[in-house]
Amino acid sequence: MTVLEYLVPRSLPEAIGLLERHGPELLVMAGGTVAMPLINEGISLPERVMSLRSAGLTSIEQRGDVLSIGAAATLTQLVAQDGVALLSEAARNTASWSIRNMGTVGGNLFTPPPGGDVAVALLALDARVRLSGPHGERVLPLADFYTGFMTNALAADELLVEIYVPTAVGETAFIKFGRKHANTPAVVTVAIALQRRDGRISAARIALGAAGPHPIRAARAEAAIVGSALESGVIERAADTAAGECRPFRDAIATEWYRRRMVGVFVRRALEKVVEQEQDDVGEGE
Amino acid sequence: MSPALNVVGRSVPRSDGIGHVTGRTQFATDHSFPGMLHLKIVRSPVHHARIRRIDLSEAERVPGFVCALTHADVPHNVYTILGLIGVEPEEEFVLAEDRARYKGEPIAAIVAESEEAALDAVARVKLDLEELPAVFDVEEALKPGAPIVTHWGNNTFMYEGHPCRRVRFGDVEEAFARADHIVEGVYNTKPIEQAPIETTGCIAVPEANGRYTVYTNTQAVYFSLDNTSIILQIPGNRLHFVGGTVGGGFGGKVDVIVEPLATLAAMKTNRPVKYAYSRSEEMQVSSTRSAWRIYVKDGVMRDGRIIARKVTSYADSGAYSRQTPYALTKHAANASGPYAIPNVSIDAYCVYTNRVPSSAMRGFGITMASFALEVQMDKIAEVAGLDPWSIRFINAYRDGDIKPHRKVVEDATLIETMQAAAALVGQDLPAEFRAMTSARRSEGGA
Amino acid sequence: MGSKIITFVLGGREVEVMVKPMTTLQAVLRYQLGYTAVKEGCRQGGCGSCTVLVEGEPMMSCLLPVEDVAGMHVTTLEAITPADGLDRVQQAFLEHGAFQCGYCTPGMIVVSKALLGHNPRPTRQEIVDAFAGNICRCTGYEPIIAAVEGAARASASKAAQPG
Repeated sequence: MTVLEYLVPRSLPEAIGLLERHGPELLVMAGGTVAMPLINEGISLPERVMSLRSAGLTSIEQRGDVLSIGAAATLTQLVAQDGVALLSEAARNTASWSIRNMGTVGGNLFTPPPGGDVAVALLALDARVRLSGPHGERVLPLADFYTGFMTNALAADELLVEIYVPTAVGETAFIKFGRKHANTPAVVTVAIALQRRDGRISAARIALGAAGPHPIRAARAEAAIVGSALESGVIERAADTAAGECRPFRDAIATEWYRRRMVGVFVRRALEKVVEQEQDDVGEGE
Repeated sequence: MSPALNVVGRSVPRSDGIGHVTGRTQFATDHSFPGMLHLKIVRSPVHHARIRRIDLSEAERVPGFVCALTHADVPHNVYTILGLIGVEPEEEFVLAEDRARYKGEPIAAIVAESEEAALDAVARVKLDLEELPAVFDVEEALKPGAPIVTHWGNNTFMYEGHPCRRVRFGDVEEAFARADHIVEGVYNTKPIEQAPIETTGCIAVPEANGRYTVYTNTQAVYFSLDNTSIILQIPGNRLHFVGGTVGGGFGGKVDVIVEPLATLAAMKTNRPVKYAYSRSEEMQVSSTRSAWRIYVKDGVMRDGRIIARKVTSYADSGAYSRQTPYALTKHAANASGPYAIPNVSIDAYCVYTNRVPSSAMRGFGITMASFALEVQMDKIAEVAGLDPWSIRFINAYRDGDIKPHRKVVEDATLIETMQAAAALVGQDLPAEFRAMTSARRSEGGA
Repeated sequence: MGSKIITFVLGGREVEVMVKPMTTLQAVLRYQLGYTAVKEGCRQGGCGSCTVLVEGEPMMSCLLPVEDVAGMHVTTLEAITPADGLDRVQQAFLEHGAFQCGYCTPGMIVVSKALLGHNPRPTRQEIVDAFAGNICRCTGYEPIIAAVEGAARASASKAAQPG
């Protein structure tokens, strides 16, 4: 079945109206970098597709201590913003230049693992998502958005419209490990945000990509290090705990066994990166 | 005095350079014709199956459906690419008949007004299949009771009545018995997809004079033309193949896969027909470099001389042989390596399994021998207490030596190449290796 | 639903095409307009051979429904090629032998033009990053990187000349 209709709404209310009219069979697409390959190969055969590219959801702006990111803002826009360094780094490490010019931040939240590297950073940053439907809006923590492999909390008549990221993020680190340096699916992606008070970790968020059915937090590893100083024994404990609690999978990129090992390695390296950044900062201050 | 050289030693612009940098070079599927139809393939979803029934009724109702082709439509459905150079028997099915032997094997072709319609119709073809046990490993395939892939009752290509290509030189068993060391190794390699950026494809166009012009990206225009002529049972002079512009091949475009069906569809419909692989097809069903398993057993003396080498190699040809029998022959001629070894025995098997057929890729047959043998050489050096350079100089072949397949070595350059490589990496060589040459031993080659 | 007419600007010239819903820009360029410098290597956004510039930014035309570029400027290699001779990037590719089979070359040159437009003196790493989405199976990339470096130097020395 070839596509009968391609809808390009010019505003959010128009988009919500179209979704309500056509129902859950309507395929919602933003950058097209995930949906179009499937349509081109005849694997996905939707009758109706709606593009969010022109629906006015593309701005990225700082409001107070929150960065508001339109769901259809491109990854290239995310690279360019200077409010949250972790997000620029995650976006820079996602796909290729052309794909970043097309792929969107919102779309990244729907990209199945091992894709979706920006979503891993957003999870570490405790981002919230704004969902909008015909009967109003709601805001959810990103951690509550995911419900399983390629499933989420979005109701059939809702659209993801905006992502909120607190800009006071503390210390952060991002590492994506793939089989190539660039434009590569992840073996594992690690994003970390830490707060320290009086030399001790007061809050920790360790987010993992390609280590579960969707981006996940390594909650036990986080709990294992809060209250401690960021030193080698603590780092090893976090790495081992994260490797133990993650839920990796096997695909053409890596085996489950290898991914679990690499979760340990890259959680350790990400935490060491935080330590190195602190030393660099101290060095620059002298 | 030699005449002035116009090309040697100079940088000469490539004749196709301007076309490439302006994008004006026309690759096969850059052509487009009014009324062009699109051909897509119904493929086996399983590795091995008996085909009970092909139900086209729903596919025929897709708007834009033009026709379907099955094996009954192909005049000479069973062929062998290398039949042109006398290789037998004919064994590959253009479209599968009673059995599918690998996942992705073509069972039927759908011709439609658009690519979307063709894909849609393909998805609506119903196959009634009885799945059969499959075999994916070369040695498993040779065990008694293994699923038989071929139509003649065993899983090896037959070389003049033998299940393998054989080379016998001297007496390896006698030499093993007196050797100071026996060094054994087994080496495995995986299939590799050539992955050209331009996928395999062609367009067949009926001409007013009753001929068919086929724009194709084959690496082997006349091979493709002749095989198409055999498969369609039409004289070669009714086929005009336009090729030579290949968007990457690396051996991956020497099989004759798209041209016969596209031309047959053009004959049936009297319209231009395009048949080009999608990227998924290129990666999943186009032939790869074979997977190999190579056993090497060497008899080595204390001074590092290899006095006997026995090699048993298995190349996984997949469900059909394509170019692999030829690869094994090349392999057998080179499986002792560029070394002077007086006693050699080689058995090289071309094995059928239920994997995607493998075929040519850059140096096929030789590359895998080199991989196995050079790792083996390092192993021998270790056992003999020598360094990797010495073991190779000691055993290097020279002009005038006789290779196990009775070829007299000419123009050997291994010694000189190793000397140059040593200089490049700053490796000091002992004086005896620096003085060595590839000249005939009788002419003072040390 | 039937076909629609979509208008966009191709190489500075306004074009109007009649398309079925969701026809890709790649298909429109190659099969309706005959702009076959836009190649078709994967239709998955994975190889870069179909790269075009949309409003000056590189995009994969295989992933872009043509409806999404309505009213926009699209540039293919055809528009980069001058009426007479070659663009300096094309010239550099030719001089450095930055191709073998030539199938990835149009995408490579389009990305090079975009890169040098944004950043006239890119570092080697910036060039490598820009090509992350463009696969070449023949050259090993080194001559392509050298060509972009050469084109950047050529324009810098030209800019430095008086008058």
